[in-house]
This record gives sequence, structure tokens and C-alpha cells, in this order.
Amino acid sequence: MSTGVEETPDVEREAELEELLGDRVLARETHLNAPGVVVNPGDVQDVLFTLRDEAGYDHCSCVTAQQYEDRYETIYHLKKFADPTDEVSVVVPTPLDAPVSQSAEPVYRTADWHEREAYDLVGIQYDDHPDLRRILLPETWQGHPLSGDYDQDKPQVVTLSEHANPLLPDHRDSEGDTMFLNVGPHHPATHGVLHVKTVLDGETVVDAEPDIGYLHRCEEQMCQQGTYRHQIMPYPDRWDYVSSGLLNEWAYARAIEDLADVEVPEYAQVIRTMGAELCRIASHMLALGTFALDVYGEFTATFMYTFRDREIIQDILEDLTGQRMMFNYFRVGGVAWDLPEPREEFFAQTRDFLDELPAKVDEYNDLITTNEIFQLRCVDTGVLEPDVAKQYGCTGPVARGSGVDYDLRRDDPYGYYPELEWDVVTEGGCDNYSRVLVRMQEVEESAKIVEQCLDILESWPEDERDIQANVPRTLKPDADTEVYRAVEAAKGELGIYMRSDGTDKPARFKIRSPCFSNLQALGEMTEGEYIPDLVASLGSLDIVLGEVDR
Amino acid sequence: MTAAATFFPLQNGETVLLPERLADLTGLGEFGVAGELLAAFIAAFIVANIMLAMTGVAGPWAKRKITASFTDRIAVNHLGPGGILIIVADSVRLLSKENIIPENADRPAYDLAPIVIAGSALLGFAVIPMGSGIHLADPEVGLAFVFAVAGIASIGLVMAGYASGNKYSMLGGLRAVAQNIAYEIPLVVTGMSVVLFAGSLQMGTIVEAQAEPLVTIAGVTIPSWFALVNPFAFVLFLIANFAEVGRNPFDMPEAPAELIAGYQTEYSSVYFVLVYLGEFLHIFLGGAIIATIFLGGPAGPGPAELGIVWFIIKIWGVFFLTQWLRSAIPRVRIDHLIEIGWKGLLVLAFANLFLTAAIVGVIA
Repeated sequence: MSTGVEETPDVEREAELEELLGDRVLARETHLNAPGVVVNPGDVQDVLFTLRDEAGYDHCSCVTAQQYEDRYETIYHLKKFADPTDEVSVVVPTPLDAPVSQSAEPVYRTADWHEREAYDLVGIQYDDHPDLRRILLPETWQGHPLSGDYDQDKPQVVTLSEHANPLLPDHRDSEGDTMFLNVGPHHPATHGVLHVKTVLDGETVVDAEPDIGYLHRCEEQMCQQGTYRHQIMPYPDRWDYVSSGLLNEWAYARAIEDLADVEVPEYAQVIRTMGAELCRIASHMLALGTFALDVYGEFTATFMYTFRDREIIQDILEDLTGQRMMFNYFRVGGVAWDLPEPREEFFAQTRDFLDELPAKVDEYNDLITTNEIFQLRCVDTGVLEPDVAKQYGCTGPVARGSGVDYDLRRDDPYGYYPELEWDVVTEGGCDNYSRVLVRMQEVEESAKIVEQCLDILESWPEDERDIQANVPRTLKPDADTEVYRAVEAAKGELGIYMRSDGTDKPARFKIRSPCFSNLQALGEMTEGEYIPDLVASLGSLDIVLGEVDR
Repeated sequence: MTAAATFFPLQNGETVLLPERLADLTGLGEFGVAGELLAAFIAAFIVANIMLAMTGVAGPWAKRKITASFTDRIAVNHLGPGGILIIVADSVRLLSKENIIPENADRPAYDLAPIVIAGSALLGFAVIPMGSGIHLADPEVGLAFVFAVAGIASIGLVMAGYASGNKYSMLGGLRAVAQNIAYEIPLVVTGMSVVLFAGSLQMGTIVEAQAEPLVTIAGVTIPSWFALVNPFAFVLFLIANFAEVGRNPFDMPEAPAELIAGYQTEYSSVYFVLVYLGEFLHIFLGGAIIATIFLGGPAGPGPAELGIVWFIIKIWGVFFLTQWLRSAIPRVRIDHLIEIGWKGLLVLAFANLFLTAAIVGVIA
């Protein structure tokens, strides 16, 4: 991927970084996506503050932690919301015997959960972190599963800390007028196994703290045990498992194609783009339906209507990929097979859906967005200011609903998107209503993209339909090559960090889940609002616990 | 017979109540007070069974079918024609389940709540004239009585809420109180405007007052149902009624997406059936009150014997409306709900009452 055109700004950027950080840079590294600077564990906040405030790296996309033979390492993947191709990786090595590093939480709020995860799974300690507890595993867990000395045969005795008093110390006496309420992990509105520790004052939410990890399935570990070529691709379908499969697969495809330097044929890119956007429509339909369910009550026509329409997409995707949900359709360097024969039938079927879509969107607008009670419920509730959204690393429709004009399909182009006509949708309302509007308009934009892809595919010469690049049977990228690549999934920026060690399996596979970062903002969005707003805000974040917990 | 058919007032002014008629028919009247008591008991049994049968149809079957037709689905269709036998299957299922009582439940209250909820609704039907001579009692304070006993349900909801020993139930119970207080007053005040028209609280008299012809257009006589005489009051009453019985968009005490069915959360098996029955009975009681004081009670085209049919059609119409709203309208938030009640409906209800009083005064 690195061409002469890209190198000039890289050199400039590195010079800039050098000037900015001076001798705080211990060493330099080169990741495929960005220059890396190695800094002292004690300089983390200082360096990050400089990078954020003076160089404009306002987006802490991901925090990766890993263990080498001789050291632990934390990598902060920084980007700019204005230009996500302008990246820098801040690498913080810590010694094996004292893995303590300064926390980045004061600089980027989003680092809070990311560092907790690093502590939980790898075992690095973060000084100055406000609340360094385990996040995915139970608090009683022994050992850190992704660290070198973890004994996975050792039985874990997981007990519930039954008598932990969740009330704030100043609310424990009988005078206290707040009530602690566990929302979830089994609650109809948590969209899966999410547990929100809620403190209520009457019906007002004083504090809401999401407790995650109930659906942790060691996805990163499983990917680390699979070979690049074929064994990893089925897993992404299972992260955001509500019909965003192809979008997730693209995240891995993009990362591995950069790592192994694979050029994907254009024809395959068009198919990928079309499939991915169909997935986005399906995913947004589901988001819309479940949000309506949260706001409307036990049962609503909107929910069934969205599922009816999603079902049509599911049929189209089944024809394309052979599967309804767990597609496993992308391959390294292309897609598994060409469009289904007879092609005309597939085109007609998909076009029929697209032709009917505007009428359906109108119907949704009639049913939902123009409803006054709905507006009463959603306008100015769950407010997420743009600055706060950026601090929490929110991406996708959540960020765009807060007016953050950030879409990787346009800002960090991949696939066939740059060749197509479409717009990035943003709404400035920052509330639940804006997020719904963004999703509904994105459905229409996606439909535009699919339509153009269909035109292109239809007129593609028959003898030039290359669906896969020529990729070796076994992929062994050079040792110590590192890459962090993200795509715009249904819920936002889905990134993957991979480090190769010269074998056919990644040495570290880290998933940056958009839902994980988005969910972190829940507390901020709901404090001071009512329980129904908490439910609505949670619905408007559109989280999938499979992706949050991985 | 044309549509211009005359509307028969209930039993032509001479009210013969069901217990009396039964006493006459069976000869029980000859056994004095004991006989009359027995006749009254049988009559009550008949009325209760009509209502329970309707609830039985509505709960497991009609509700599913109606919702399904709103949402492009089929719903139950395997057992019996149109799936109607699901009623039997569901009854067996619900009754054969284990009755799980939470450890923290406050026993007598927890056990009483379902009975209070279901019983209060059933009591209300005692004074409702259902047509075809099915009318248990017609006290002079009929309307006041029906509001009073329907209001008892709130106590049941609070009992269920706090006695369940569950925070969600507690919140649901609290919401139920706040909501019932906020909506009972507009409900009663709007009901009073009808009393001004009819000049009586007696259900029989209210129904009779609506039998008068309002206008005659092209040979079609339109009766002076209060819904036509005062549509404003009718709409107010409908809204307040939905809030009172806790249906969408005012289903705050249950709010499954927020409170996981609120005060019902901890009820299972027979207790759940009772709570559920109570809810449906309340919808039907609301429908019955609306039918009686706004829609001419059992009046309708055809012979007076068809009264019960028209009455059932009317209350099912109201039930249908609740299911329509359930499928189509978002739930309002608790603070909005209270605001709508106190700042909106209450003011409008009083405005309606004073206007009606003024108009009735001028005409009289």
C-alpha cells in the first residue's frame, strides 16, 4: 500500500512529531498505518497532551496492550477526527517485573475502559487511572489471560461478591434518598446481557455505570490461534452479530490486506461495497426497530415492519453469500464467489427492494419521526455534546448524531467508496432523535451506494470478473510488522490491530469495537434524566453486546 | 327493517333488574329474602361469567390476533379454527405453572393484591346495564359507585408493587398511584358533565336520556348519545380512561421496556392470571362505562333483545382501540404523563364541566 505519494507527508509528519516531542521520544517505530513513537511510561500524559492539544490528535481510537518476551507494551492509536489518515501510534513499553505505566485517562476519557481492558486481559497497571478494575472478566478472576505466564488449566473459582455495597458511602444510612437499581443483565431493554448499575433519585438517574463482560468469548484469543489465510475470517461475523457481518469481515480483510500487501481486484471491491452497504441497511433497520421497541413499549408495529424489511435484505444476502447471518463471504484478497446465477434475477431482486425502500422510509417517518410523543421522548434526551463524544471516542451514527462529521468510508477511503456518489449524514441535535434521523438517512445513502454498485456490476465485462487476488496459500507476513486499520462498520469505527511474528498466525490480534467506546458515554448521556430516557439512550447507542464484550 | 329503526330505550322506562326477573322466573321469590339473595347471587354469577368469558377470549386470543393484524403477522393459528382453542391451551398452561412467591414478599398483601385488582373491576359491572335485561342493580348513585370501585384497583396495584419486594415492582406501584391520582379526577369531572345532561347518577336514567332523538336526517334518526352531544367530553373521557386503566400510551405502571412489567414482575401462575384478568376486566369496565354514559348503553338498531349484542360490540370497540394504540403510539414519559394529567386534562375537564353546566342551564 505504501506508495511514493504517501511517503512525503509521512516524512513531514515524522519531522513534525520529532520537533513537537523532542527528547521525550525514546525511539521510533514504523507501523504500516502510522509512525510510532516510543515514550517513557512516566511521560504518557505529557506526550499525549502535547499530541492532542498541539498536534490535533483528538481521537484516541484504540489502546492495544500486549506482552513481548522481554516487556509489556501499550500502544495508543491516535487519529484526528478531521483527518483519520493522519495517525500516530504512541508506544509505551513497561518492564516485565513492574508493568506500570501512566494512565491516558486524563487526556482521553475513552482510555478509561480501554486501559481497564488492558489491565484485565494483559495485566498492565495504569497509574493515575480513576478506577482500575477488571472490566470483561469477573472481579475475582485470577491471572491475566493474554499475559505470558497465564495458566489456563488452573481452575477459576468465580464467586459473586454478594455483599459488595453498591451504594455511595454518603448514601448508606437510612437518610439517603437514592435507590440502587440493577438494570440488567436480564432486562428487556439492554439489548443483550448488559448490566447497568443505576443509582436513582426517585425516577431520576443519578449515576449509570455499564458493567460489561457477560458475553466475553475470547474473540481476540481465538483470532490469535487462527491462520491469517482462512481461519480468522469467520470470527468477525460473530462480533456484531446482528446482520453487520460483511462490514466486520471487511475490517479484518482491510487489516490483513495491508499487512500482507495484497491488492484486491476492483470487481471484488464493488461486490464488497455492495454487500457491506446491504448489511448496513439491515443493521440500521434492526437498530430502528429495537429503538422503537424501547420507546414505544412492549410491542409495536414499527418493530415488525423493520424486521419485515430486514428480512428481504437477509434473503438477498443469503443469495449472495449462502448464509443469513454468519456470512464468511470475504476472503483475503477478494470475496468467496461471484454473484449468484442467474445474475439478472439477483439484480432484479435487489433493485425491487431498492425501489420499494423510499416508500418504506416514508412510512417509518410517518410512524416514528413525525410522531409528537416520539419527539417529546427523544428530542433533547440523551444529549451527547460533540466534544464529549470525541472525548469518549464515539464514532459512527452516534458521533454523527452529535454533529461530528466523521465517516471512515469518506475520510479514510477504502473499497469502492471513493468512486461512488453519496453523502455523509450528520445531524446537530446531539440527542436521541438525531441519532435516529442519522440512521434513517444513512439507510437511504446506503441504498444509493448499492444502486450504483448494481449498475457497475451489471455492466462489468464478463471476462474481467476477478473475484480474488492471487494470494499465497499460507500467509506469513514479515516478523514484527504492525498494523492498525479501521473501517466504518454499522456502529462506527471497527478497527483491528495485528502484529505478526513471522508465523502464519498473528502474535497479537486486537479488536477496536465501536460499541465498546460508544457505550462508555452512556453515563454521561443519562445522568440527571429519567429512567425512560436511560432506556431510550441505550437504545439509541445501538450497542451489540457481542461486539462490546468480544 | 331499515337503519332508521327506532332505538329502544331500556325496557321502556320500567327497569326490571336481572335478579328480580330471575326470582320471578324460577319462583325463588316466593322463598322470601333467602330466595331473593339466591336469585341475586345467580344473576351476579351470570354477569361475572359473561365478563370473564370475554376476558378469556380477549387475553389469550383476540389480543394476539389484533396485534398480529397491525403488524403483518398471523399469530396463533394451529389450535382450532383461527387458533381459538389457544384459550384452552393457555388456560391449562397458566394454571399448571408453579406459583413462585419471592422470599421478600410481604405475604398477606402480596396474596391479596391480585384478588383486589381483579375483584374491583368485576364489582363495577354490577351497575352497568348491558341490555337484554342483564342489569344487576341500578342504584341512584350508579355512576359514582362504578368510579369508586374502579378506583379500588389502585390500592391493588400499590399492594402488588410494594409487597413483591422488588424495586421494579415498587417503581411500578408508585407510578400507578401517581398516574391514578392524576387521571381519576379528570375522569370523574368529565363524567359529571354527562350527569348534568342526564340529571341523574343512575345508570338506567343516563341510558334512557340518550335514547331521545337528536336530529333526523333523511329519515335516519340519530339518538342523542352523549358522545354526539358533547364529543369534546367524549374524547377527554377516552384519554383519561386509557390513563386510568394504564393502557398505551399511558402504560407507565407496567412499561415492560423500562420496569419489566412493573408491579406484575413477581407474579406467576394463578396470581398472574388474576392480575392479567384484572387488567382486561378494567379495560372492559372502562369500555362499559364509556358505552353506558357516552354511547347509549345497549341501544342500537333492531329489537331491544339485541341490546347485549350492541353492548358487547361497543365495549369491544374500546378494547380494539386500546390494542390499536398499543401497536402505533409511543409511551409517554412519566413526567410528561403527570403534566398531561394535571396541567392538561384536569383543566380541560373543568372547562368542559363549566361549559356544559352553562349550556344545560341556558337550555333548561
